[in-house]
Amino acid sequence: MKKFLLLVLTITSVGVLSACGGDNEEGFDTSKNITVYTRDTSSGTRAGFMEGIGFGEAAENDNVLVDGFVTNDNTAILTAMKTDEYGIGYIALASLNNTVKGLSFNGVAPNVQNVINNTYDLKRPFNYVLRAPGDYESPEVEAIVNAFVAFLGTTDGADVIMDQGAVALESSKTWDEIKNDHDICSADNSAIVIRFGGSDSIQKVAEALSAAFAPKCGNFVPEHDHTGSSDGFKRTQGAEKDGDNAKDIGFASRPFKDSEDGVDGTQGQLAWDAIVAIVHLNNELDNVTAADLKNIYAGDFTTWADLFEK
Amino acid sequence: MNTSTRRKKRVDQLIRSVFLVATLLSASFIIIIVIFIVIKGITPFITNNDGLGVVNVWTFLTGTVWLKGTAFQSNLYSIGFIILNTLYIAFLTLLLSLPVGVLTALFIAKIAPKKLAEFLRTIVELLASIPSIVYGLFGIGIILTFVYNLSSVFGIQSKGGNSVLATVLVLALMTLPTITAISEVAIRSVRKDIEEGSLALGATRTQTNFKVVLTSAKSGIFAAAILGIGRSLGEATAVSLVAGNAKSGPNLGLFDITTTLTSTMLQGLKETTGVDYDIRFSVGIVLMIVILITNFILNAVKKRVGNVNVK
Repeated sequence: MKKFLLLVLTITSVGVLSACGGDNEEGFDTSKNITVYTRDTSSGTRAGFMEGIGFGEAAENDNVLVDGFVTNDNTAILTAMKTDEYGIGYIALASLNNTVKGLSFNGVAPNVQNVINNTYDLKRPFNYVLRAPGDYESPEVEAIVNAFVAFLGTTDGADVIMDQGAVALESSKTWDEIKNDHDICSADNSAIVIRFGGSDSIQKVAEALSAAFAPKCGNFVPEHDHTGSSDGFKRTQGAEKDGDNAKDIGFASRPFKDSEDGVDGTQGQLAWDAIVAIVHLNNELDNVTAADLKNIYAGDFTTWADLFEK
Repeated sequence: MNTSTRRKKRVDQLIRSVFLVATLLSASFIIIIVIFIVIKGITPFITNNDGLGVVNVWTFLTGTVWLKGTAFQSNLYSIGFIILNTLYIAFLTLLLSLPVGVLTALFIAKIAPKKLAEFLRTIVELLASIPSIVYGLFGIGIILTFVYNLSSVFGIQSKGGNSVLATVLVLALMTLPTITAISEVAIRSVRKDIEEGSLALGATRTQTNFKVVLTSAKSGIFAAAILGIGRSLGEATAVSLVAGNAKSGPNLGLFDITTTLTSTMLQGLKETTGVDYDIRFSVGIVLMIVILITNFILNAVKKRVGNVNVK
């Protein structure tokens, strides 16, 4: 009994010690399996990523993914890539830091400049659509909506957007510089409700924006009801624009379709949602293509050698 | 009866009714919570879930894939493998934390010098009050790396350390203070004369501690195990950070990713709607039933083994 205990003790301590001593010195071993990390099916980042790599059916379906994938949130995936030499995951570009390696996508480095100049492709636009001019409940509502759109283009608006993990478009003016163009914001608007809707991926950004803007514009009451990108146009200028679900501002987390062509000047972009594929710093990979990522997530590439030797 | 006694009586009555109200309030909240969860939780099984159809109870309880098909377009949820995982993890956790906890308790109660015992007792109490998210962050920062490196020592490629083992280690750390604190009280309340009797018969200190003190305290130690298992069954935050959140199973390998009932409820909870939201309450009902049954069985076992009388 004693001998057995001693044996167990020795084996455990050797195991523990060597585990603490840790890092494998032999370098990156391409024969290892790829460990795939993903967000869960309700995540907007996952939808953006899967659509961006041409694997849209995986946006809300776990069954088409490779077996044995790890599901976690943005931070946990980022942390995992510090440890797991053979893992691959994706996060919002805003969370990328130098503890992991952010992969270039189709040869373009993942950074804010490349997103804004539209060369980095693993991203989707956050667009807005307004009601047609004059088609609002009251002129006050229309004025507030226009002021809100102006706010989106200010550095104050950009800060809010960046805080939510999206990439804002370039802006130079502050709200204070342009607020005199919007007299409505100096009035008391606490009785006016502004209805926001459309894409649920944009909900968090939109809520943060309206929460930041309402105090700057007479405390109007923002009402958010986000049900999906296709409702963005439908409920402002489309079939449901006069229905119970009508909205003053709609959002879409994709380019507008031809069938969603609104009145001139009522549609625009507020931000980019950029996503970056990440690996461990020891990984030799620097660049991936959409097809590579699709092959990895679908399970056609199971080892790193499959990817390097394709 | 003079006035002062009467006043005392009235105060007494008043205080008693205050206590009654407090009791009723907390008791009714438990009932309200249970009713709320049950109502939410049976919705997927009795409504057609906005056109997706009724969720089948049998496949829900026995299946091996969390969700077949596309989220929001499918009603094929199953948690059979998750129930199994949850029990498996709770069992492994207890296997690890019970011996360590009881031995620590024995040390604090019987062996350590008074000053040291006092100090250790404070430490254990502090550990018991650390919130679970802190254990989770510790797990993600230290334990995942440890498990990842440990697995490569054995020549296994673990998924970044996310595994059954990591989950068990985090849960063992979390349940250890509870088990230690309660066992320690049980061990301390073993009657001195039993102990002295053993020593007088010529048994050594160690023999007495293991064969007399621990056996006399086993009812209390069992109570500690029950509370410990309750905590490991119910922990969500820390577990979901280190389990890897497998979507199919059962996952029995120590280095395999896994998932538990609680971490399944937590995944995407804040971002989802419809049946995908309601089904988490169904998982909650199952979790409550699992905890009830486990406690019931453990209490029955406790009654059978814990026949030595300790306070």
